Amino acid sequence: MKHALTRRNFLRGTTLAVLGTTVGLPRLAPAQTAPSAKTRVVLIRHPEALDENSQLNGKVIQQMLDEAVAKLLDAPDAVAAFKQLVKPEDIVGIKSNVWSYLPTPPEVEKAIKSRLLDAGVKEEAIAIDDHTVRTNPIFVKSTALINARPLRTHYLAGMSGCIKNYIMFDVSQPAHHPDSCADLGSLFLLPQVKGKTRLNVLCVLTPQYYGRGPHNFNRRYVWNYNGLIVGRDPVAVDTIGLRLLMAKRRKELGPSQEIPPVPKHIQLADTRYGIGTSDMAKIELIKLGWADDILI
Amino acid sequence: MDVLREKALAMTKSTFLPIVAALVLAALAGGNVKDLGPRLPAEIAGWKAAGADHIYDRKTIFDYLDGGAEVYLAFDLREVFVRKFKSAAGTEIALDIYDCGSPAEAFGAFTCDRQDPGAGIGQESEYGPGLLRFWQGRFFVSITAAGDEEKAEVALRALGKDVVPVLGPAGEPPALVRALPDAGLKKDRTCFFHSVINLNNRFFVAADNILNLEALTDCVLAEYDAGGQADPARLLLVVYPDEGRAQAAELSFAKGYRPADAAAGANSGARAFARRRSNLLSIVFAAPSKAFAKRLLAAVKQPQP
Repeated sequence: MKHALTRRNFLRGTTLAVLGTTVGLPRLAPAQTAPSAKTRVVLIRHPEALDENSQLNGKVIQQMLDEAVAKLLDAPDAVAAFKQLVKPEDIVGIKSNVWSYLPTPPEVEKAIKSRLLDAGVKEEAIAIDDHTVRTNPIFVKSTALINARPLRTHYLAGMSGCIKNYIMFDVSQPAHHPDSCADLGSLFLLPQVKGKTRLNVLCVLTPQYYGRGPHNFNRRYVWNYNGLIVGRDPVAVDTIGLRLLMAKRRKELGPSQEIPPVPKHIQLADTRYGIGTSDMAKIELIKLGWADDILI
Repeated sequence: MDVLREKALAMTKSTFLPIVAALVLAALAGGNVKDLGPRLPAEIAGWKAAGADHIYDRKTIFDYLDGGAEVYLAFDLREVFVRKFKSAAGTEIALDIYDCGSPAEAFGAFTCDRQDPGAGIGQESEYGPGLLRFWQGRFFVSITAAGDEEKAEVALRALGKDVVPVLGPAGEPPALVRALPDAGLKKDRTCFFHSVINLNNRFFVAADNILNLEALTDCVLAEYDAGGQADPARLLLVVYPDEGRAQAAELSFAKGYRPADAAAGANSGARAFARRRSNLLSIVFAAPSKAFAKRLLAAVKQPQP
């Protein structure tokens, strides 16, 4: 089927309906597919996640993660929820992001690791890594992955979110750059990755809605949103992240720059690679906590 | 023997004189980036050079620009010189000097992203908190501060002024810019590029490359005052390598462009108006009226080589 990635569909989040299923690739494990019920994504925000100097509050972030993951899985508490995600014998790689301007906050990494330990995973069976995931022994032997990174705009892909965060699992990163990074969804089919992702945490504590200059970063375009977007489906999580970016861009830059060009990889991760859903009609977004300036 | 000597001399002249001339021209135009280090400041307004200088080429640039390299590789980028500075508080300034091969390409690298007010540095410049950008000759320069951007402003501006003389004489913007009609033109919003990446980052036209833009296409996107309309009208000029490719692009655009999907459609839903003359395709987006677009298209001048 011919692609019809259009502005209207980006705005409506209904590209799935337009594209249909294009390639007969196998579906992944249930954690990464769209079940018959809606795919749940939790957005949680807290006014004290950052202080007046924009320093992160680790205790509040732990509390936010706990509440979000418990709600995501309808578990009584965070430890019970993490016990649904991992088993004590699992070897777990926390795929982080070390981009110097806006890395995965250590407070988020610590909060995830803390609950993995509470769920019974051995400390020596947990690693946090980004650039060396292909050779890191824990990641090489991993039986489970947790995907955690900040939300930001990207010159080629339109958006850097949970799907793009796995680019370091491939030998060549530039090989994924053509056509606006259209085929990033294929990363989730790599042998080192396929079927292992148990949780995606898109950090929207201080998202970046626009980028300029060779490093595509300027602090002017980062704002304190004080949130986390959490889900089992990386495509659904990124779909919500994209809507947040678009809402902020519409507010700050105007309608003509609402779409960060060109985030086609999110829809194609769904329709071409079948790793999750990008259809808003099939996503159940649960919002918890602080609602001021929530935008979506 | 004399004949052989004459031939050898002629060969020497034909082989080496152009090389010598090229080296002299390179030196006059700012020299090679690998020679820039000793001529650049090691300390500026409290920030001191930290660590070794680095030079990246078209292959290694990916090690430096995480995800954004293609934006500059879309121009004729040769090498990048990088020097980092650190303050006592640990905040960092990054000086990047991009050898773009020619003034036209340096103009493109600068203009494809420009947005802030001018800073009076180099041929054209802009400054916004934490970011100074300018071009001079065949070089595009970006100076970025990460942390303490307000305090860094003095250092960024001073560093920029110190760098300019090292880069050699000024150069000419691309000739295609001169084809733009003058009336209503917002000169500081004009940009030059080749790739669809740069077009869509400036003005989203379509998710696919419906204008068949590539390394051999020269493009200018300009903004025009559109009367009472809040958003400016846009004029895109594309010069294709030959008429056949221009014709193919014209057809592709007519078939693939959906006004409501482009950035222009976000406000007005306005149609685009295109006109092709030989290998030059001109398109007006977000025009307040058909008459406005037609006037603008008719005023496009013949590009000079």
